[in-house]
Amino acid sequence: MELLVLLILTGLGFFVGRHLEQKHYASIKEREKKTLHIPMMNFGAKQDLPHAHEAQMFVGSVVVANDYFKTLSAALRNLVGGRVVAYESLVDRGRREALLRMKAEAMEWGASQIVNVRFETSNIGGQTGGGLAAVEIMAYGTAIR
Amino acid sequence: MNALDSHGLTLTTLEGVPGKEIVEHYGLVQGSTIRAKHVGKDIMAGFKNIVGGELKGYTELLQEARKESVERMVSQAQQLGANAVVNVRFATSSVAPGAAELFAYGTAVKVQ
Amino acid sequence: MKYVPKEITQEVNTTPVHPLVNLAYLAGTVALVGVAIYFLLGIAADQIARRIGPETEEKIGAVLVQAFPVQETVGANENATDSRLEYLHELAISIQTDLEAVTGEPANYPPLKIGILDTPVENAMVMAGSHLFFTEGLLAAVDSENELAFVMAHELGHLQNKDPLTALGRSLVWITIGSLLGLGQQGSGVVPGAFNLAELNYSRGQETAADEYAIALIAQRYTHGDHSLDFFRRAQENELDLGALNRVAEWEQTHPMSGDRIKKLEAILVEEGVALTGEATPLPEDIGCPNFTCEP
Repeated sequence: MELLVLLILTGLGFFVGRHLEQKHYASIKEREKKTLHIPMMNFGAKQDLPHAHEAQMFVGSVVVANDYFKTLSAALRNLVGGRVVAYESLVDRGRREALLRMKAEAMEWGASQIVNVRFETSNIGGQTGGGLAAVEIMAYGTAIR
Repeated sequence: MNALDSHGLTLTTLEGVPGKEIVEHYGLVQGSTIRAKHVGKDIMAGFKNIVGGELKGYTELLQEARKESVERMVSQAQQLGANAVVNVRFATSSVAPGAAELFAYGTAVKVQ
Repeated sequence: MKYVPKEITQEVNTTPVHPLVNLAYLAGTVALVGVAIYFLLGIAADQIARRIGPETEEKIGAVLVQAFPVQETVGANENATDSRLEYLHELAISIQTDLEAVTGEPANYPPLKIGILDTPVENAMVMAGSHLFFTEGLLAAVDSENELAFVMAHELGHLQNKDPLTALGRSLVWITIGSLLGLGQQGSGVVPGAFNLAELNYSRGQETAADEYAIALIAQRYTHGDHSLDFFRRAQENELDLGALNRVAEWEQTHPMSGDRIKKLEAILVEEGVALTGEATPLPEDIGCPNFTCEP
């Protein structure tokens, strides 16, 4: 009986999860393309910024969780060792989404560039084995206009 | 084992490349990898916890992972046509019990 | 410096492997390694089990018995309040002597200890340290000494073949693998482990060997095979006769199906030229009740 529930959840995770992930990626790529004209860099502390009149900090953050299928794969990977492929797309999506959110807010404010961008990642699920497989990713930087 | 293949790109943690000028910049580049250790290493580490000292297995694992994430970042920079990546920063975090994410990011630039 | 916007088209931060392929590779590796470890540990456990001395076996038995809801045991010197235990002990010793004569091998296990389990399920079991248990259900259901003797001889056969110890070894292997994989977080798994170990799943081969051991005794002690297999006949009535599905269900179980056991044993008797019909040797009255006295 429990095996059946497990299989259903895994199947749901695989099919629906995959579909949602692909949709998310498509949205991310589209938004990246649209906002490509505003530069982002992670330096800026020691540069002259001649066109800068105003500066303001902006933060973009997102909490992403993995689907059941990927969590299962990752649990097995923990035994075998090596690259955890299942989580790669999770953090990649999360980072790009957080970056885009920060950029969106800054562009609304009227930024011409964003300098000194930094990242922070933390595990939300807690350290126990049965916790959530969720990650919070934060991107913050100074917008200049 | 530790030689990083940066494909001829200059990597610095400074805001520029000393002695050169930045002529073009292409935005942020990021490289990340997530690695897990296997049960064998876990058990050996458990033993090491008794006597103390360097966990060579883990050190090598994370060094390899760091190398890979930097190489991925360099690969993104190459796609943009950069010849240097400045202000390289690292971030290590745990995304799941037993798995660690190694993240390297910087700004891709062209220097002359 | 000038900003030159360019797109990054090739995804570098994800590995382009199909998730199902990835999962299959992982599951396959884990399964293979698990099987390899099981085999290696199983061989090791077998070898160790065969080399355990009688004093160690007694000690192991003493620990395991604590986890069981037993009424009483009768060893060589203890007194029991239930007179049935004495009867069972005498019968067991008598059968043990007969077995030594039939097989030509002396008993290689510690002195027998008998106990009665207060449960209505019909069963008998033996544990490391020569602890023989019969259930109230069994004692209430048996009709003849032939039947009881077969059951006893079967259990003594397990003892002679050192099956309880090898079964311990195999359970230990499962517990070890389980704890390695992180399933079942048991702090000190000794006491819950004892229950696990006491479950005693013997392999099909071990069960068949014990059956054949017992039928040899029956042939010699009673000169006929009638009534001795009644325990199996009752079990057979309870089992669903699935016909064609029998083969599938059989593979899953640790005991061969009762019908097959009966057929196999009767074939052995026929081969030895032993009669299949004869008089039943009677049991003492009211063996199903404590002290041979049933309340009306």
